[in-house]
Amino acid sequence: MHDFNYLRPKSLADAVAAFKNAGDGRYLAGGQTMIPVMKQRLASPSDVIDLSQVPELKGIAVNGGIVAIGAMTSHAEVAASKDVQAAIPALADLASGIGDPHVRNRGTIGGSIANNDPAADYPAAVVGLNATVVTDRRRIAAADFFTGMFGTALEEGELVTRVEFPTPEAAAYEKFLHPASRFALVGVFVARTKSGVRAAVTGAGPCVFRETVLEQALTRTFAANAVKNIDIDASNLNSDIHGSAEYRAHLVGVLAARAVAKAR
Amino acid sequence: MLKPHIGDSVLRHEDARFLTGRGTYVDDITLPNQAFAAVLRSPHAHARINGIDASAALAISGVLLVVTGEDWLKQGFGPIPTKSAVNKKRDGSPLNEPPRHCLAIGKARHVGEAVALVVAESHAAALNALDAIDVDYEALPAVTDARKALEPGALLVWDDIPGNFCLDFELGDKAATEASLKASDHVVELDVVNNRVTAVPIEPRGAIASYDAKTDCYTLYNATQNVHANRDTFAEKVLHVPKEKIHHIAPDVGGGFGVKNGVYPEPALLMYASRKLGRPVKWINTRSESFVSDSHGRNQMSKVRLGINKDGKFQALYTETIGDLGAFCWTVGPFTPTGGSARTQGGPYAFKAMYYCSKAAFTNTMPMDPYRGAGRPEASFQIERIVECAARKLGFDPVELRRKNLIPPTSLPLKTAMGLDVDCGDFPQVFERTLALSDRAGYAKRVEESRRKGWLRGFAIAPYMECTGGGPKEFAGVRFQKDGSVELAVGSQSTGMGHETSMPQILAARLGIDFESIKYRQGDTEATPLGGGHGGSRNLELGGNAVHQAASEVIEKGRKLAAHQFDTDEAKVQFEDGHFFVPGTNQTMTMREAIEASFDPSKLPEGMAPGGLDANTTYERGVISIPNGCHAAEVEVGPETGVVRMVGYWVVDDFGTIINPLLCDGQVMGGTAQGIGQALLEVAHYDPESGQMVTGSLTDYALPRADTMPPMTIEYYEGAPTKKNPLGVKGAGEAGCCGAPPAVVNAVLDALKDYGVTHIDMPLTPEKVWRAIRAAR
Amino acid sequence: MPRISLTVNGKPVAHEVEARTLLVQYLRETLKLTGTHVGCDTSQCGACVVHVDGRAVKSCTMLAVQADGARVTTIEGLAPAGKLHPMQQAFHENHGLQCGFCTPGMVMASVALVQGNPDPTDAQVRHGLEGNLCRCTGYQNIVKAVLAGAKAMRT
Repeated sequence: MHDFNYLRPKSLADAVAAFKNAGDGRYLAGGQTMIPVMKQRLASPSDVIDLSQVPELKGIAVNGGIVAIGAMTSHAEVAASKDVQAAIPALADLASGIGDPHVRNRGTIGGSIANNDPAADYPAAVVGLNATVVTDRRRIAAADFFTGMFGTALEEGELVTRVEFPTPEAAAYEKFLHPASRFALVGVFVARTKSGVRAAVTGAGPCVFRETVLEQALTRTFAANAVKNIDIDASNLNSDIHGSAEYRAHLVGVLAARAVAKAR
Repeated sequence: MLKPHIGDSVLRHEDARFLTGRGTYVDDITLPNQAFAAVLRSPHAHARINGIDASAALAISGVLLVVTGEDWLKQGFGPIPTKSAVNKKRDGSPLNEPPRHCLAIGKARHVGEAVALVVAESHAAALNALDAIDVDYEALPAVTDARKALEPGALLVWDDIPGNFCLDFELGDKAATEASLKASDHVVELDVVNNRVTAVPIEPRGAIASYDAKTDCYTLYNATQNVHANRDTFAEKVLHVPKEKIHHIAPDVGGGFGVKNGVYPEPALLMYASRKLGRPVKWINTRSESFVSDSHGRNQMSKVRLGINKDGKFQALYTETIGDLGAFCWTVGPFTPTGGSARTQGGPYAFKAMYYCSKAAFTNTMPMDPYRGAGRPEASFQIERIVECAARKLGFDPVELRRKNLIPPTSLPLKTAMGLDVDCGDFPQVFERTLALSDRAGYAKRVEESRRKGWLRGFAIAPYMECTGGGPKEFAGVRFQKDGSVELAVGSQSTGMGHETSMPQILAARLGIDFESIKYRQGDTEATPLGGGHGGSRNLELGGNAVHQAASEVIEKGRKLAAHQFDTDEAKVQFEDGHFFVPGTNQTMTMREAIEASFDPSKLPEGMAPGGLDANTTYERGVISIPNGCHAAEVEVGPETGVVRMVGYWVVDDFGTIINPLLCDGQVMGGTAQGIGQALLEVAHYDPESGQMVTGSLTDYALPRADTMPPMTIEYYEGAPTKKNPLGVKGAGEAGCCGAPPAVVNAVLDALKDYGVTHIDMPLTPEKVWRAIRAAR
Repeated sequence: MPRISLTVNGKPVAHEVEARTLLVQYLRETLKLTGTHVGCDTSQCGACVVHVDGRAVKSCTMLAVQADGARVTTIEGLAPAGKLHPMQQAFHENHGLQCGFCTPGMVMASVALVQGNPDPTDAQVRHGLEGNLCRCTGYQNIVKAVLAGAKAMRT
């Protein structure tokens, strides 16, 4: 790892200012991806801005059918939150399965979605629940936030402050573990909401996406059998030694059915 | 005060430091003024090195030295030779051995090959230097599959080795086997692949070399399994210094499994760098580097033919294997697909005739060297797969077919068609005990329970027979101190197996002295004059018997001393349960008293010097022993995704005398886990186009985790201690790797039998299983 | 260079460190607490697990500066000198370790697991150890040890 200036701002304004003043600044959330990447010298920022002391990024609030989770909330905190468990059990369940216990103690929701790893779990929830990503300067709809592999709508220096999840009628996440990394080889988040059924898929493609074939089938009948043997187009899916595109496409249907079966 | 017996589950002595963070692994050692080295490794599978410009690296502040292949050759250092016990082709000519220098010379031939060494004041500066070295590589096409490498016209890994051919090999009676196959009612044939894997000890390799100009001696701390043999090669073949000039020390070593046995280039480079710089130099491999610079294992492609009669009796076994060696012969690489896999062909079954032949080829990949079992797991997998295949094809019950063909104890001792001396054991009894343990009666109910949950359940049983190996001599030294402590030094070496407990246990049990009084030394060329290190499940067979022999010598000397004290004839003095005594008298003396007396000149018999009970002995193995046993596995397969769950596991092993059941269980469990890993998860996969290792980090190379493993029941058959060695031990370390892969794979295939799936190559990943189900549907 | 002050194994410590220093490097190289090991470079193996403010973290995936002001416990500080924590004792009695290299991380992970779930099932232990790799034991005796250690920690 190359050395850098380390900054630990105490407010959102200071954090954003620190980034502006930096030559090549990077925000540091939980560091569970960022630090390995820096260790491999794939990123060598001049300034690392640690967000751990920024009060505006903390806390979980449930209000008027919205679960708002501060960007610096760890996966372990979300998983253990009685409020989240009560409002959106699928979200707590998803958080409880990210990485491993040690990763969950450090990794954060803000870090996860800003990184947008194609196999990360949280993007599936953000898209599946039609969440709103709130930043230091605007509100970004889930549909607009994830733009491609490791790509987001975040502008230079823009900082995720919280994610607002509307409470669904029922939802669930099902993940097929990558045998080595324990990321999602495929993950499917299904949600039945007032405005319709949503199904978001992670791990299978270059970026999280909504699978309309699933959504249409589940709109007709929100039942496992409706998607169990569904045909998913494999043409844009990932292929590697752990799973061909065809296998991943198959898993999308299987996992969707399982998610629907356990949705609540 | 602890006076253990052979067969007691003595808790481990070494745990105290390991559990409190006070172990000393090589990375825990810091020598004054040490510099840090890092290795520049080839990013190409095959490339011509047109030049190396290190000037920018040397200009970095804190960078002390860059060594390239050309620099290395200029020093006159020699290549590391192979020590394969099989070193001739079938025609009697020597195997084709390319020179293995410590750094790539002219060409890099696999991803990860060391191209240059840098040394700097800090680790960070060394890494900066790696980035700054400009290597002019001319990338060349690569061959990564041994089958392709042996095809006519294949591109060459070594220009002067035609056809990428290292050697061929045969064992057994070809004509008789062919005739027997011809005469058999059926011949069943199967292609069997033992997938390429790597051991991944959790401690990466690393070393510190320190050269002392005053004495012209090197001290090398090294995460190795074998200090003596490696020292000899470094001294005599590479650096050309007398071997006494290298003090080679293995501190606590964090796992080995074979990959820390071989001679690697880095320690030799460090010794040179330390002499050149006049200061200690430390290097620790990263995990990702380890994947492309630790030896790999298995990687054999075999065609197996089984001749079998209508009554189910096996007649003949004919196995042809292609072994992938990687880019070099490495330390003993050529042995594994030749002698290593040949010896235990046929497992515990009776055959009229057997024949094994193989070819080994070079490829542009990291070389093979022993990995836990080194040939015997491959052979075990081959026989158990062809037997299962025969049962399925010909309609035999797999359990019944095995039962019918096991060598009966009445046939023992026998020499197998592969020349293996099988002296004792009871294969049918071990087999039946394993079946009983695995609750066959309750199986139908379990199948039904799985079915109700939507899972398929499968069962398989896999008897195995293997053999020990490794260096044929071992040293043990016992030194008594005036303060009552005892130093025991043995030339075999633990990388986690607990020798610090099992070896003192043998000594304490034999002499009747306090286990806690024994201080154990190992892994140090100055602690023992010779040592075979670790490999081939050899520790108890060699090291254990060396301790036993040393104890016998102590007792003999003690009898002399006691006779002198008792003022009687030496022949009348007996030793039992820690006491010297003269039967029929009340004359008695404990071993402890004898030791104390041995330091009192007034109590010594003529010719005995103070401290005269000490013993230094070398035990020499006669014939290798035959560990055997039986594994049984139950699995569940999810037909929707192809996922495999291990749900039950039972093992009965015949390791002869069990010294410490607790530690023995640990060996079986660990070996089984590695076997399950090979069967379900692990593969060192190379991309055929780029020659890159695709599974080159822990984010892609899948290891078993706690939730991979099933509940296990392990028992021992102790009815057949071998007479090949005084302790009656047979070696336990590698058996798990022999039993587990066939048990797991055949159990999965059993679960899929209703689909008609008869074969899937390891590892049985969910996708492969799912595809097999789909293809069968 | 940033200056950090923290409590390690109950003792206050303070040093100037390069910002890029990993917590594990600080523990091993500056404080000479070499019980915490490094077994990989991709945050998978868990050999480096320590407790930071009571939670298990991978010290290879955390900067020392991020531990400023924190309470860190390593394997060396799990029990008073000369004594074993019930979990360490359970690993000893159940042969839950062989080469010992993964052991410090495994024990620290196990203690944290049991602190969060004092009476775990076999399956919960196996799942709870998914961030820790062992290549020697096949995990059987580790799981047995954690269950025994949990029992001992409850009483």
